[in-house]
Formats: sequence, structure tokens, C-alpha cells
Amino acid sequence: MSLALSTLIYEWRRYMAAVIALAVAGLLVLALVGMFMGIGKNFSATIDRSPAHIMILPPDSEGLGTSQPRRNIPLLFQHSEVVEATPFNVTWGQFTNFPEGEQKAVREGVQIYVVDPIPGAVTLPTDFPEDVILALQEPYSVILDVTSLNKLGVKVGDKAKINGRTVTVRATISGYPSLFNSMIFTSRQSAKLLGLVREGPRVGAILVKVSDPARTDTVAAELNVIGKGQFKAWTKPELSKRNQESMFKNSFISILLGFMLVVGVFIGVVITWQTLQGAILANIKEFASLRALGVSIGSLNLIIMELSFWVGVAGLGMTAILLVGVTALAGAMGLTMFYPLWSVITIAIMLLIISVLSGLLSLGVLKKSQPADLLR
Amino acid sequence: MNGKLAIDAKGLSKAYKIGKQKQSVLKDVDFNAYHGQVTMVMGPSGSGKSTLIAALSGLMKPDEGEVIALGESLWKKKKSKIDRFRLDHCGFIFQGFNLFPALNATQQVEQVLKYCKVKKSEAKKRAVAALTEVGLEKRLKQTPSALSGGEKQRVAIARALSKNPQLLFADEPTSALDSVSGQVVIKLLHRAAKEHGAAVIVVTHDPRLEAYADRVIHMEDGKILSDHFVNQPQDVVETPVS
Ligand SMILES: Nc1ncnc2c1ncn2[C@@H]1O[C@H](COP(=O)(O)OP(=O)(O)O)[C@@H](O)[C@H]1O
Ligand SMILES: [Mg+2]
Repeated sequence: MSLALSTLIYEWRRYMAAVIALAVAGLLVLALVGMFMGIGKNFSATIDRSPAHIMILPPDSEGLGTSQPRRNIPLLFQHSEVVEATPFNVTWGQFTNFPEGEQKAVREGVQIYVVDPIPGAVTLPTDFPEDVILALQEPYSVILDVTSLNKLGVKVGDKAKINGRTVTVRATISGYPSLFNSMIFTSRQSAKLLGLVREGPRVGAILVKVSDPARTDTVAAELNVIGKGQFKAWTKPELSKRNQESMFKNSFISILLGFMLVVGVFIGVVITWQTLQGAILANIKEFASLRALGVSIGSLNLIIMELSFWVGVAGLGMTAILLVGVTALAGAMGLTMFYPLWSVITIAIMLLIISVLSGLLSLGVLKKSQPADLLR
Repeated sequence: MNGKLAIDAKGLSKAYKIGKQKQSVLKDVDFNAYHGQVTMVMGPSGSGKSTLIAALSGLMKPDEGEVIALGESLWKKKKSKIDRFRLDHCGFIFQGFNLFPALNATQQVEQVLKYCKVKKSEAKKRAVAALTEVGLEKRLKQTPSALSGGEKQRVAIARALSKNPQLLFADEPTSALDSVSGQVVIKLLHRAAKEHGAAVIVVTHDPRLEAYADRVIHMEDGKILSDHFVNQPQDVVETPVS
């Protein structure tokens, strides 16, 4: 084992501040990315879990919450392999509970997803269990994610109001947590009774099933030819990916991330640099004795650079540990975190750059290793 | 090689500036030392002993004078060449032991050998041999925290000896040690001169070490007061080592 690595392990307490600073810097950025990607993934959850093979959007749109002319639907059936094309219906509603006992009064905007509770329907998420589908078939019944129960102040069996009309919470699902507005699912019948279905000339995204799923890519391409630019056909994976990416096109999120990155690098460099300097000074006589024995200053610089590299690696390990904790904590609060590979690689590089930079900044202290000072 | 001149210094002067005042620490000192001999430099504190060895060993450039070490003019070399010279030829032992807290005895020695371009397996062998020579064969895996002061100094000696230096400088090597450990240390330095043919220059103010000296030089106030051979260099009869 090298001198640098042995020293880091032997005097790990001394380096803890730097390791933690690096880990916090990494965590700050990574947790933020993870949270936004998680939210993005939740947005795209509806895409991922839809049985649709292709989604039809207006040509300039990348999300599900847009509208296009209803006449696009018959256009799609010009393709012989399109077997189903149904508009995706999501609307906003005002949710009010009937507080009982301890429950707080809630009055909140929610997103209402309209589904057709028939197994195999293109609007019905693939992961809805049998009993949930049956529950949705009852008029005026709604279902929501387990994690939303508390937020909306209801429990299964409770009555509540959506846009002033009474509904019953009939069941819960899991895997649809939402940080902001809760997601509520109801059947097309109930939605009509609640006045939530738009029957006008414009519809949202159109969900398409094809006869042979293996040919999805080809059919999507051919539909785009049929559409002549009036709409764009996306395959599910394409849209899901684009949805997550669009999160970072949001300038607020990008600025926040950039800011965290700068703050993280700054804190990381300052603390790591100071820690390394302190550590070098603590061993300055040992370094000086190596100098006396003829070891060049360049070789000592290399020891410091190796040391700072290992500090970076330790910081990376610490980031991973903290991240597991944060992710578990977020999970307990119903928040999905998702860390794409690029973000992990970016952070790894960032931490190594911080530590190597701190190492370079610390090299100056080595000049204090004057072997003549050892002679007293 | 025993009996040959290892260091020949002429006219060494050094002054430190303290504020506007200049304090002369070495005043036109001539000094030489022979292979195979323990040359002891004694004198009161502040008399310039450490400054002298710093100038002799390439650690600190004197203001004036020349040092011929192993036939080469030391201070005419570039800085990096002086480093190289020390790496190839010089060993140092200081009052403090200056061992890395994280390394065990073997690693302390190997660490230095690594820079002498000694192969790993060879370095290990030489480290164990050097530590055995100083009587630490049972302490190979100990870190400094588990070693006594005398043992630490012996590790430092092993570290210096493992390079087979022709010049061995020791500045107050025993003053942080009890007298028994001090005896062990000076015996080891003596052996380095006799068995390895090194020129051993020991700075000390401990009169008990005089028994091991081949030559005693007294310094005071930056000047050499007396220079006395106990054994003449040509008198050295122990088996010479190349
Ligand atoms: N770096 C320095 N700057 C200023 N004065 C120094 C320095 N090093 C040594 N001195 C002075 O030079 C004198 C001789 O020092 P030194 O060679 O260490 O003596 P010795 O080793 O004989 O005790 C002392 O008076 C000391 O204070
Ligand atoms: Mg001294």
C-alpha cells in the first residue's frame, strides 16, 4: 500500500472533514437531480405504464398535457395496423374532503386521470390490479395513491367532493406518488357525471395500440408520414425519455442545479484544501526528512496528489452511503428518487476534480518542508 | 576506501540576517572527514554545528566556501542534482525521528528505497536486512506509535543505512534518548563507519559519545577550536568495504 493511502486510512479522522465536505457537495447536486428526475419519472409514469404503443401529440409538444384537433383520430385509422386510438384525458379539479375527528379540512387542486376500467383498454395503466378496476367501475368512485391519503385528508371508504360533486374513495394504488398535486383516477363514466370530460373539438394526447407491438417503431414512422406534420407520433420509450429530459430544460431547475454545483464545488474545494494543508503540515517533518534523504520535491508533490485523489474516492464512497440514506428517507415520504447514469458520472468526475484541485492548491505548503529546519 | 577523504570543505562562511543585523554563524571554517571514521563535532549550543552539517550535506548553501564531497564540488551543482547526490550518497539522522505515523518499520525503509529505484522485492529484502542490522527484526510490522524512542531512532538509522550511503550525517542523534538507547545508537553509527566504510559525521554535545569517536572536533562561535584524531584514518584496519 502506498504512503498516501496508508496515511489516509491511518489518520482517517483528520480527513473526515474533507470527505464529508465532498460527500455533501456531491449529495447536494445528486439529490436534487435525483428528486427532479424522480418527479420527471412520475410524470412519465403514466406514459411508461400505459398499454399504448404509440402516443400522438401536436407537432410542437413533448408532454401529455397539450391539445390537438379531434379529427386527428380518424386520420390515424388510415393505418391498417392501428387497432385502438383513444384520447388521454387528464384535467384539473378542486378536491374537498369531509373532515372527521382528527382529519384536517383539505381544499386542494388535484390532477384527475380518466381511464376506461376495462382490462386491456388503452387508457388503463397496466399495473392496476383487478380489485381496483372493479372499484373504478362503480359510478362516482375514485382511487388514489396510498401516499396521497394523508395529504388529502381521506381514507378508503370516505366521501369527498370534486368540483362540488360527491365522490367515494373506493381503493388505493401504489407507485403513483406525487410531490405537488395528487393524482386521482376515475372512470370515463364517473368523469362524465362529474363534468370532467371534454367533448369539444380538441383532445389531449391520443393513445394508440397497434396490432403487432414488434412493429411499433415502423408504424410510428408511417403515422408521421400520414400526419404530414399535423401531429407527431412518439413511441413510448421516446416520449418517456424526452419527458425526463424536458425537466432540465426548465430554466429554474437548471439555474438551481448550476447554483448548487457551484456552491458544492466551492465548499468542497475550500474544505478539502484546508484539510489537506493541515494534514501536510502535520507531517511536514516527515516530508522534510525524505527531502533530506534526497527525495525530490516533485516526488513529494506526487504523494500529495495521490492523497487528494484518494480523499476524492473516499468522498465518493461517502456520497454513495449518504445517498442511500436520503433515497430511503425520500421513499418513506413518498418521493421517488431516480439517478440517471450521466448524473452519477458527472458527480464522480466533479468530486475527483474538486479533490485534485484541492491537492494542487495544497502543494505550496510542501515548500515549508525545509530539511535544514530539521537540524537544530 | 577507508582512510580516504570523503568530504573536504574550505572557507565555509554563513551569516543569518536578523532584521538589519547580520549574525555570523560560520566563520571561514575548513573541515574534512574520512571514510571509515566517526568524526564527532562538539561544542556549545549555538556554535554553528548544525549550520556546518547543513552546508556539508547540501541542505543549505553557505555564503562562501567550497565543499568537495566524494570528489564532486557540491555547491556548483544544480538544485535537482544536489537532491540526486543526497539520494545516492547521503544518510541523515536527526534529533527527532521523523517517521511517518501511518507506516510500519519495514515500510518506512521501503518508502525511501522506492525513490532509489530499488525493485519492490529487493527493497523488502534490504529493509528487513537493515532493520535486522539495527536489532529490530522483531519490530518489522510495528508503527511508530508502538515503538520506544530508541527503537524509532533505530528505524531512522535503518532508513538511512538501507541506501548504503557513503556520507552519514547525524545531528544530536541521542539527545532525545535515554543513555542506554543512546549507546545503542552511537554503536550503530560506529558500525556504519567500520563495516560500510561510510564517513560518519556526528554532531553532539553528549561527552559520553566521545568514546566512539575516531576524531573529535570542537567548535565555538562559528570557528573550529580544536581538531583531534583518536585514530589516524590510515590506522583503520577493519575489513574495508567497497
Ligand atoms: N534559520 C535561521 N535563521 C536565523 N538564525 C539562525 C537560523 N538557524 C540558526 N540560526 C542561528 O545560528 C546560530 C547557530 O545555529 P546552529 O548551527 O543551529 O548551532 P548549533 O547546532 O551549534 O546549536 C544560532 O545562534 C542560531 O540562533
Ligand atoms: Mg544544532
